[in-house]
Amino acid sequence: MIPPRNPARPHARFAAACLAALALASCANSRPPGARDARWFGSVSPPGANVLRFNNGAEPETIDPGLMSGQPDGRVARILFEGLTTSDPQTLQPQPGQAYRWETSADGLGYTFHLRPGLQWSDGAPVVAGDFVYAWRRVLSPASGSRAASMLYPIANAEAFNKGTIGDSTLVGVQAPDDSTFVVTLSSPTAYFLFLTAYYTFLPVPAAAVTRWGAAWTEPGHLVVNGAFTLTRHRQGDRMEFARNERYWDAAHVKLEGIVAYAIDDLNTSTNLYKAGELDWNPSGNIPSPFIPYLRGFADYSTGEYQATYFYSVNTTRKPFDDVHVRRALNLAIDREAIARDLLKGTRRAWGRITPSGYPGYVPPPEVAFAPDSARHELARAGFPGGAGFPRFAILFNTSEDHRRIAEAVQAMWRRELHLPVELENQEFASYMDAATHLRYAVARRSWIGDYLDPNTFLEPLRTGDGNNRTGWSDPRYDDLLRAAARELDPARRLALLSQAEARALDAAVFLPIYHYRTHELVKPYVHGIFHTALDVHPLTRVWIDRDWRQHEPIAARDR
Amino acid sequence: MAGLILRRLLLFVPTLWVIGTLTFFLVHMAPGGPFQSEKEIPASAREQMLRTYGLDRPLAEQYGRFLWSAVRGDLGPSYKYPQRQVRDIIAEAFRVSAELGGLALLLALLLGVPLGVVAAVHHNRLPDHAAMALALAGVSVPNFVLGPLLVLVFSLGLYWLPPALWTGPASRVLPVVTLSTAYVAYIARLTRAGMLEVLRQDYIRTARAKGLAEHVVVIRHALRLGLLPVLSYLGPAAAGIVMGSVAVEQVFAVPGLGRQLVNAAFNRDYTLVLGVVLFYATALMLLNLVVDVLYTRLDPRVAAANP
Repeated sequence: MIPPRNPARPHARFAAACLAALALASCANSRPPGARDARWFGSVSPPGANVLRFNNGAEPETIDPGLMSGQPDGRVARILFEGLTTSDPQTLQPQPGQAYRWETSADGLGYTFHLRPGLQWSDGAPVVAGDFVYAWRRVLSPASGSRAASMLYPIANAEAFNKGTIGDSTLVGVQAPDDSTFVVTLSSPTAYFLFLTAYYTFLPVPAAAVTRWGAAWTEPGHLVVNGAFTLTRHRQGDRMEFARNERYWDAAHVKLEGIVAYAIDDLNTSTNLYKAGELDWNPSGNIPSPFIPYLRGFADYSTGEYQATYFYSVNTTRKPFDDVHVRRALNLAIDREAIARDLLKGTRRAWGRITPSGYPGYVPPPEVAFAPDSARHELARAGFPGGAGFPRFAILFNTSEDHRRIAEAVQAMWRRELHLPVELENQEFASYMDAATHLRYAVARRSWIGDYLDPNTFLEPLRTGDGNNRTGWSDPRYDDLLRAAARELDPARRLALLSQAEARALDAAVFLPIYHYRTHELVKPYVHGIFHTALDVHPLTRVWIDRDWRQHEPIAARDR
Repeated sequence: MAGLILRRLLLFVPTLWVIGTLTFFLVHMAPGGPFQSEKEIPASAREQMLRTYGLDRPLAEQYGRFLWSAVRGDLGPSYKYPQRQVRDIIAEAFRVSAELGGLALLLALLLGVPLGVVAAVHHNRLPDHAAMALALAGVSVPNFVLGPLLVLVFSLGLYWLPPALWTGPASRVLPVVTLSTAYVAYIARLTRAGMLEVLRQDYIRTARAKGLAEHVVVIRHALRLGLLPVLSYLGPAAAGIVMGSVAVEQVFAVPGLGRQLVNAAFNRDYTLVLGVVLFYATALMLLNLVVDVLYTRLDPRVAAANP
């Protein structure tokens, strides 16, 4: 009797996505009232209030910075809290945050941070070094169950305390000799440590509020913050509203009165809202990928390299994939250029390495190239000349139109070049993760996003037994190289060690690289201070909205 | 009457138990679990979470705990959003879905009933054919097609209405229209069928023979019984419509219950899935009960059978 409710089956969702994409494309030429030219995608009228509205893409799981993991959560944390250091909005290089200066010891193991005088929480209590000690110990405490606790492992005794080997939290290398001095002792010199101190897991939390309210301390009304904005309203699955925090040390330079972060998971809807002028910023990841080539003509669309790679991982515990020659054959038979150029229409860059581009001083090993003859040779060496006798296997991927198309392309390449009996296996995300984690697959789609600007963040997962390894691959020499790099003080030698490690992993062909991600975002011309960054991280503290942007527009740009 | 209500309310208990039990074992059988992410969750953190939620206990014990918390009406925190209670999430999302669904149902009745009456009165003539063609189109176009089409025309083409979000009154228009279309069509067809049957009855002929004006015959005498099929449809329809439509909520970014349920299932958010399913089942049974009670008021035959 009830009219059919749409059960959101993948094909229904896809049909809806296609239609919405069609809607976007077909009316892209109509002009909104107030828009004068075709350079911009949709409305360019600034919002009524001095408030930045953007789509955060999903509902954050938590706004507790110590417990969170993932980009939507991280964006919210950076709006509400400030770490010892902050990131430059363009380069992401560490800038003074709650600490206005710091010293590093000669052996690279000791950091002494000096907090700015007069720092306050949003409830008026002073921010003291003890808050950082409390926050970091809390992250590491096994009882908190923080998913990102391993980010703090460079700190002395942090790993042992987190894993329960030692029970005394005071042994962790963090101290507050006085209210304005915070001293960190590392277990090994960590070249990227000042990047980490800007990361959300390292943000301070207010001990008093956490103790008083427990898990509910992040509710609006209970939440106490030290960043540029406070949370005023939260409706799950819809929006979070933030207002300027007048107790923030640099409030005088915060021009936005507020921020609204929506939790819109539908990419078409998000892009529609941007076009209609309901969003001022549509961050990367919120544009339907078939629609990206069309946006290239608009001045408010921007793209850049993103520290993330897309690859296939091979389960080395399963025969015949335990044979390196089989894995090399698979690796050499992938035509990455064809995938990036023809399938993805240049929205991604073909990539033959594990680490992405953009690390100054890092000389990466040569890329894996498409070499079908060598691939056939490797396969023959493994005992399967011409693919004869190779067992049937599947490429596992989670539900997504892009993943499917890429899997189909790779399937065709492996069939064509190597005559392998390849099948596709599509699962929804939770089932896919379960299969990947428990090594119930042959070849699986994967991707990895950098946490900080260093190649280490991409090489760490392949370490023996690392939770993100998910291939069963173990190479003692690789582990040794990573360990040696962690101990190395000389930056050039450290990067050389990492490069050697990457070369070994590439040679072992456990991760078969496919493409290098790019960011694709839309920012209205009246928004200032949102830049493309390599980690797709965007500090919003200094963003502002220019109501008279038309007058401020360079003449040359207007005539373009 | 009180006996009827009491009997039906008592039946709720075993029904909810069966639904809750089936859902409980189905969600636990689904591969994967609530604590998964592309970036590995450390074993210590995972164990801590499993302990916190009692997921390290035997399944039978978990089932027992679930039954007890369901009886108390408090399923505890969501697994995906650990700082929020399932109760609060459902209450918040239901308010939105109920408003969207209520408006859509109201619109469906305001359009569907007159459309059906006009069609029945002009049986087999042009207005009938036109109304039924419209109804057929309304039933045939799924809302995940209609929604984007409306957005295309009224938001991105004409810039009259916002394309999504649940903010001001203007933002209600497109989702409400999209959601109501299928119901308008269905109600129009049911009204027409009911009216056609009633208009053939002897008492209508009597009313006409007594010289009553046609509109009095139709509205005062025929409509009351002609609407009975609509009324019996209204119970499950109301439950369905106010519990949220996934497609409409997705297209228009409406923070309603339908999206919560689907996302909860994908996230393996056991408590939230169970909460929404039990809530939905209860609402469906309650609304059916309300319809049955109304039925006895409108149709004396039913009243006679249920003293």
